[in-house]
Amino acid sequence: MTSNEFPFDISLTDVSKTYPLGLWKKKEAVRGVSFAVPRGEVVGLLGPNGSGKSTILKMSLGFIRPTAGEILVCGHPPSERQSRAFVGYLPENPRFQKFLSAKEVLFYYGTLCRLEKSELSKRVDELLDLVGLSDARAERIAGFSKGMVQRLAMAQALLSRPRILLFDEPMSGLDPLGRLELRRLIGRIHEEMPEATIFFSSHVLSDVEQLCASVILLSKGELKNFCRIDELLGGRSEAYEVTARGLPAEHSTTWGKRIRRSPLGETWSIEGTDELLAALNDLKTMGAQVVGVFSQRASLEQKLFGKTSVQEARTPEGVLL
Amino acid sequence: MIALRVAWITMRELIFERVFYLLLTFAVLALGFSLLLGQLTYAEQAKITLDFLLAAVEVSMVLFSIFMGIGLFKRELLLGSVAMVLSKPISRSSFLIGKYIGQVAIQFAVMFCMLLVTLAIQSSFHGDSSVLSVIQAVGLIFLEVLVLTAMAYFFAVNAGTITAAIVTLCLFAVGHMRESLVYHYNISISRSWIWPVIMSLIPDLEIFNMKTIASYGYTLDWIQLFWAVVYSFCCAAFFLFIACVCFANKDIAT
Repeated sequence: MTSNEFPFDISLTDVSKTYPLGLWKKKEAVRGVSFAVPRGEVVGLLGPNGSGKSTILKMSLGFIRPTAGEILVCGHPPSERQSRAFVGYLPENPRFQKFLSAKEVLFYYGTLCRLEKSELSKRVDELLDLVGLSDARAERIAGFSKGMVQRLAMAQALLSRPRILLFDEPMSGLDPLGRLELRRLIGRIHEEMPEATIFFSSHVLSDVEQLCASVILLSKGELKNFCRIDELLGGRSEAYEVTARGLPAEHSTTWGKRIRRSPLGETWSIEGTDELLAALNDLKTMGAQVVGVFSQRASLEQKLFGKTSVQEARTPEGVLL
Repeated sequence: MIALRVAWITMRELIFERVFYLLLTFAVLALGFSLLLGQLTYAEQAKITLDFLLAAVEVSMVLFSIFMGIGLFKRELLLGSVAMVLSKPISRSSFLIGKYIGQVAIQFAVMFCMLLVTLAIQSSFHGDSSVLSVIQAVGLIFLEVLVLTAMAYFFAVNAGTITAAIVTLCLFAVGHMRESLVYHYNISISRSWIWPVIMSLIPDLEIFNMKTIASYGYTLDWIQLFWAVVYSFCCAAFFLFIACVCFANKDIAT
């Protein structure tokens, strides 16, 4: 079976990994994990620290050998060099030779991908534009911020137009602006390369919620759930929050329930779309200014940990939905 | 081709390393110190100076092999920059061999400079030694460096930084004493079977030592040199091969 005929880009079958801790002790980092990531999906690998996310990514790249089970990347075992021709990898803390410029880094990694010089030159320019580093192309990495290094690492992962993108905690250590930039970049990559599978690990739920179509939940090395985000969050919500200001001093409403008053105005919780439309009409008649209307769909965080304490959330049962 | 690309980056990386300049300073100081020591002698000033100069070249190059090779390789593993390279469709052997070639190339350049300095000092003394004997002696040190660097990489793959450095240094010392150790084994009463096995695994580095011969102006014949080249290449290839096999099977959990 060729890589194009293989229906899944990454598949793990009953994979386990045990690390030796000294002479006698052992630690089971991953235990009997099986899943298959279909082509073109954006899949998040979610779990607390030590749940085995990075181990799974590293096994998929052939850095670590599984103790048991089978991994296939585009139909090839990761130990085969060929499997990595399909993969672009962004590690948690990318490190480059600091004396190289951004352009030199991409040329170096492009050569390792066996790209032709003429093609590589064009590709490097494209990618530097994509990640917003065109102006810093000749600058040495030593002067780069963490966000710039992360974007450059993203560019090197995209060099060979890979079919699978593996990102290990891509937003780790970035400031909010850096996170936003990188999130937008991942979204843009998915738009421009819709056939590419993006598989990334994170323990930041909001990142996963905003970027992924599906999520794999891991806890203590075990697979707890693999489902679509929509299924997990319960699809479209019919509950809204409406905030308005400039209301007359004496007023009464027949819709919703007032839940708070803040400098922004008064906020109501409203059930149902009809009631929302009635409320907006009413507010307009009263001469109020609507500041915001928000859907009250539960976030991934609320779904996963809403009813559990932090301590419970760190146990397998806590993460189990 | 891929290995050569890795080698080129390794060479540039080494030039930007602080340890490279520290070792370079050590090499310059060692040469200067040898010159000074030679001047202190009563007779045979040219011979003794050359002997010290060649010893300075050897010691500097041994330190280059061990500390730069192990340090550079270990740092790549610890910082995780190796993951970026190995995520590309290249074999681990290409990476390791590339690193080795890059380091050896830089060592060759440093040794060439040291050779020129040695020749310049030697010519100022008008001693018995010939230019050819000095070139041969430095050339043999380079062959020894090829073996030591390969050994350093092998231990760097399989052990921690300090352990790898200590073991390589010990093997360098034992490699130079191999002949006398074998002699003592032959005349000892209690002979263990394990001893010959161990000794056969340790390369005989005395083959590459012609410092004293060179200081008297003698040269080796081409057949001896040829076998020294063959021996060096075989030993380096052996250590590099097992380093590649071990590295290919190693978990890289950076």
